[in-house]
Amino acid sequence: MCMELQLGLALPGSDTWSRPLLKLGLYEDINVNSKKRGFDHGYLEDEFSAASFKNYEKGLVGWPPVETWRRKKLRCQVHNHMTAAENGYCGGRASNSTYVKVKMEGVVIARKIDISIHQSFETLTTTLMTMFDIFDENRRSFKLTYQDKEGDWLIAEDVPWR
Amino acid sequence: MHKKMAFSFPDEVLEHVFSFIQSDKDRNAVSMVCKSWYEIERWCRRKVFVGNCYAVSPRMVIRRFPEFRSIELKGKPHFADFNLVPDGWGGYVSPWIEEMAGAYPWLEEIRLKRMVVTDESLELIAKSFKNFKVLVLSSCEGFSTDGLAVIAASCKNLKELDLRDCEVDDLSAHWLSHFPETYTSLVSLNISCLGSDEVSFSALERLVGRCTNLKTLRLNRAVPLDKIANILRHAPQLVEFGTGTYTADVRPDVYSDLAGVFSSCKELKSLSGFWDVVPDYLPAIYPVCSKLTSLNLSYATIQSPDLIKLVSHCPNLQRLLVLDYIEDSGLEVLASSCKDLQELRVFPSDPFGAEPNVSLTEQGLVAVSLGCPKLQSVLYFCRRMSNEALVTIARNRPNFTRFRLCIIEPKTADYLTLEPLDVGFGAIVQYCKDLKRLSLSGLLTDRVFEYIGTYAKKLEMLSVAFAGDSDLGLHHVLSGCESLRKLEIRDCPFGDKALLANAAKLETMRSLWMSSCAVSFAACKLLGQKMPRLNVEVIDERGPPDSRPENCPVDKLYIYRSIAGPRFDMPPFVWTMDEDSGLRL
Repeated sequence: MCMELQLGLALPGSDTWSRPLLKLGLYEDINVNSKKRGFDHGYLEDEFSAASFKNYEKGLVGWPPVETWRRKKLRCQVHNHMTAAENGYCGGRASNSTYVKVKMEGVVIARKIDISIHQSFETLTTTLMTMFDIFDENRRSFKLTYQDKEGDWLIAEDVPWR
Repeated sequence: MHKKMAFSFPDEVLEHVFSFIQSDKDRNAVSMVCKSWYEIERWCRRKVFVGNCYAVSPRMVIRRFPEFRSIELKGKPHFADFNLVPDGWGGYVSPWIEEMAGAYPWLEEIRLKRMVVTDESLELIAKSFKNFKVLVLSSCEGFSTDGLAVIAASCKNLKELDLRDCEVDDLSAHWLSHFPETYTSLVSLNISCLGSDEVSFSALERLVGRCTNLKTLRLNRAVPLDKIANILRHAPQLVEFGTGTYTADVRPDVYSDLAGVFSSCKELKSLSGFWDVVPDYLPAIYPVCSKLTSLNLSYATIQSPDLIKLVSHCPNLQRLLVLDYIEDSGLEVLASSCKDLQELRVFPSDPFGAEPNVSLTEQGLVAVSLGCPKLQSVLYFCRRMSNEALVTIARNRPNFTRFRLCIIEPKTADYLTLEPLDVGFGAIVQYCKDLKRLSLSGLLTDRVFEYIGTYAKKLEMLSVAFAGDSDLGLHHVLSGCESLRKLEIRDCPFGDKALLANAAKLETMRSLWMSSCAVSFAACKLLGQKMPRLNVEVIDERGPPDSRPENCPVDKLYIYRSIAGPRFDMPPFVWTMDEDSGLRL
């Protein structure tokens, strides 16, 4: 199984486009994640070393090279059923930093994810499940929570995406 | 003998001859012939182009060209478009506006790209230049609709207001109403970047109605589909039009109204916009499709069949921007329908998805390269590529001048052979002898750079990411590419050796950007010390570079030639290496 995963890594352009089976522990899962995210091989050697942690923390900024305004305009299109006036999020200056730290219970390493590239809880949850390698059948046992300004932990899906 | 002939022409004659020479490059060449030509030329240059606002100071420009009417300035490095340049880096236009406001009451045109523009600057422009005609702000930021309101209110002769891809603070929806009722000179208006509620429809309609010379109108997303008909009715003479949101409940009366009004636009050659597009309303534009030369569907999230239908109606298309929803099948139709196609840009609909959501591969690009004999400029995002395809593309289309390929996953090998894509890109540079711009992606070794250094003699701009094995790669490019002006590199194992060995080359280029590479702080200092005409800037948000060992790689490096010396408007995370101290804060 370990060998399969390694092969999966070496063949990024496989015809079948199928993801390798994820049946092993955290280490192998990180391998697969780093393949998908295109991270430095240094990460595979020692996921706890400061350099690779930082690399992972930062994510792959500016890649693929799609201009920020183009990304924003495309993302905003999911809200096409809202009137223009409601959709203040898409208007005006957006803060540059849309990265959010995500931590999974029981996992040492927190991940960072760019919120601005997601249009709904669906895609955000799917990406997070992939990042932390939670399989479909286990999905339901995980809940997405966020910390508000007062420091309270609330369930994310209770509020609208905006 | 020849010297005598040169002086025998009166200045006025030379000036008249020079007036036919518009291109910046030619003008620069003319000014280098002899001192008297330099003098005559500088007095009659009307358009000044400054490719890097920090390469020269405003005062130097004004001193040399006392009578220019139009200026174009560029600020931040290109990679700023992808968030690689931290906020606050620089590119401020205010020193330029302030200097020109004093010296040039007759300035007519200002074109800025990737610069920070404030409302104060906009106000100063409005106040200082009585005959101001053209304001083009491309990828700029720092201003609000308040600044626009002042421009609208004061610039009686304004012809062009083009805000493309800017980040504008929305403070008031009514800035458009500041154009006085007597104002009628608008020829071009592009407000497509404005946010949701930054436009007042009635003011817009009235403005469009009274500006009978309006040729270009690009609306923003806030303008709904049912308002477009009214606007177009007031401006059937439009040549370029950008819709707002192209969605509405499907109603036959709205549809026929729209289709009718489009049919009356006999001059329309370019369409854009199409946010939130509903396919049912697309046929409304069919009446104008046969004349269209430019179509920007890069925000249109419609699927391949609808795109194919649309594209098949546009036989005269020269420029197409589209999302990868078009798929290989759509590109094949494009290849057979649009024989005049010159420029194609295919953007990713789901750039961060791990797996392809559409069937767009290298085949689409191969088809277009084969079917479109005039194709010279390509920007293509895809998820797989092969050397075979690239070689075919290069052979099919040796007339490429711009070839930008982005294989979404970094370091992706040839999907057929699992080899690096060196040979494929090598073919591109070998066959396309007039290639001016190239962006690389995929798995690449030093070999591709050897090909580039050997063959890409006309290459002016090169973008590299996640490629190469060693300094040799960078060395090939710097030593071989004779026409290189701009080089931008990220995440490559290029270090000190190639950079220092080719230091002199850097003075012949506009700029070099290197981020997440292996250039040490020591090398940066050395370069800054050795090369006084280069500004060597280290960008590092981790803190001062001298708080780490000298051989530690810097985070980001931006080197550009300058006769203005080091700049003084740097934020705390930018350090310039200069000859005095090696480190200046």
